Amino acid sequence: MSYSSPSIVSKMLTIDRRFIFLLIALAVLIPLLKPINLPIDISPEVKSIYDHIESLPEGAVFLISMDFDPASKPEVYPQAISLLRHAFQKNLKVIGMTLIVTGTGMAEEVMASVAKDMGKVNGEDYAFLGWRPGASAVILSMGQDMISTFPQDHYGRTITELPVMHNIKTLRDIDYAVSLAAGFPGIDEWYIYGKDKYQFELGGGSTAVMAPGLYPRLRAGQINGLIGGLRGAAEYEKLIDHSGKAVAGMDAQSATHFVIIILIVLCNIFYAISRRQKDG
Amino acid sequence: MVFLKRHLPLAITFFMGVVFAMQYYVPHPASEALLRDASNWMIIIGGFALILGLVSLIQLHTNRIQKHMAGWGYSVILFISMLAMIIAGIWASGENIDSTRTLTGYGWAYSYAMVPLQGTMFSLLAFFVASAAYRAFRARTREASLLLIAAILMMWGRVPLGEYLWEFSGDIAQWILNVINSSVRRAILIGISLGVVALSIKIIFGIERTYLGGGKE
Repeated sequence: MSYSSPSIVSKMLTIDRRFIFLLIALAVLIPLLKPINLPIDISPEVKSIYDHIESLPEGAVFLISMDFDPASKPEVYPQAISLLRHAFQKNLKVIGMTLIVTGTGMAEEVMASVAKDMGKVNGEDYAFLGWRPGASAVILSMGQDMISTFPQDHYGRTITELPVMHNIKTLRDIDYAVSLAAGFPGIDEWYIYGKDKYQFELGGGSTAVMAPGLYPRLRAGQINGLIGGLRGAAEYEKLIDHSGKAVAGMDAQSATHFVIIILIVLCNIFYAISRRQKDG
Repeated sequence: MVFLKRHLPLAITFFMGVVFAMQYYVPHPASEALLRDASNWMIIIGGFALILGLVSLIQLHTNRIQKHMAGWGYSVILFISMLAMIIAGIWASGENIDSTRTLTGYGWAYSYAMVPLQGTMFSLLAFFVASAAYRAFRARTREASLLLIAAILMMWGRVPLGEYLWEFSGDIAQWILNVINSSVRRAILIGISLGVVALSIKIIFGIERTYLGGGKE
């Protein structure tokens, strides 16, 4: 039995990376232009966040900490949209904030735009507290006294004068908190300095690359659910029956994953052939 | 000077370390007030750290420009961009939007320069990951083969196309995440946590002093 010529095998093993870049670009672009809308299964970790919000009574306090920067916007921003839509649908009191300074603009934008869509009033139905320096110290301080941590909201209004903030003094008054994180500070800090000490229920949303690292917390019940990456956001969009950018991006993600799988398999076939040629 | 540089910081570290380790277990109002005040101090110190970061950044890039080090032009661009953002920020009083919800100059620079630029940098990873996977993911050893199989199963099972082509792939990926990944990560976390506890004790009792700087006494 003869194998492929050595030059072809070595050429394939050292293929120009621009060819791979082109394949990935096509795998992203074509499904975005011609989506086929494959069915999306719902994972238990995403469903448990949805179920918990569903179980909250009207007027319950929901804190969403949008701890991500613009680099993680494609993955985490759709999670924020879906969670906010769900919380507003359920008529929860929504408090938004961020621990990442470069994420403040995005966090404000997503809260204001979703609230406007859902007919909610700033200060009455929701509040956006903005950003404070100190990361984990901010969480600790909120656990002791939210008013001294955020005396004013992002728009400069005194927090005690906002109807939505009535009777919310510390993190102990929060019914459910979700941290949408892309690194430090994020879900780990919200658990260690927040939930563990002040005893509120906590969920998480993260980039796909971070998600596997959070499974020990999920399995131990330290967070009650996890929305991982664009896939998690797409699942949540399906759950609230409001398809957005995450669902639209799933076909592209499917195609990209399969292009990488095919590339890896091909690479290993050529590698095996080259080893046999060397041995033979 | 030794007192100010060594003994006083060590005494403060010991006092604060012991007090706040005990504070966690004391739910008395005085203890809670102490934590509240200390948290507020940390927030203020966090604000100062931003200034420190800015000064450090300016020093680093000024040095690069003065010495015409490789890529010094990028340092010039950094200063121009930073200055532009500071001016736009001051002009807009730090607001992204005005009272009519129209973007300010600062908001425009954030939404149409910073956000897409950072998003682009992160998105480029997809291309480099694909290229690196093609070159590096080779079944050279038994361990590498295991990693390869796990990676393929995860990539297959975490996208709708994978689950559509092979129904159980999602369950397999979920099992890898829940069982193998969780157990290994937990072991790593426990190791890290024990290390942090040991290091904290060493710092509190003054055995570990490198944070004071200046090498040996």
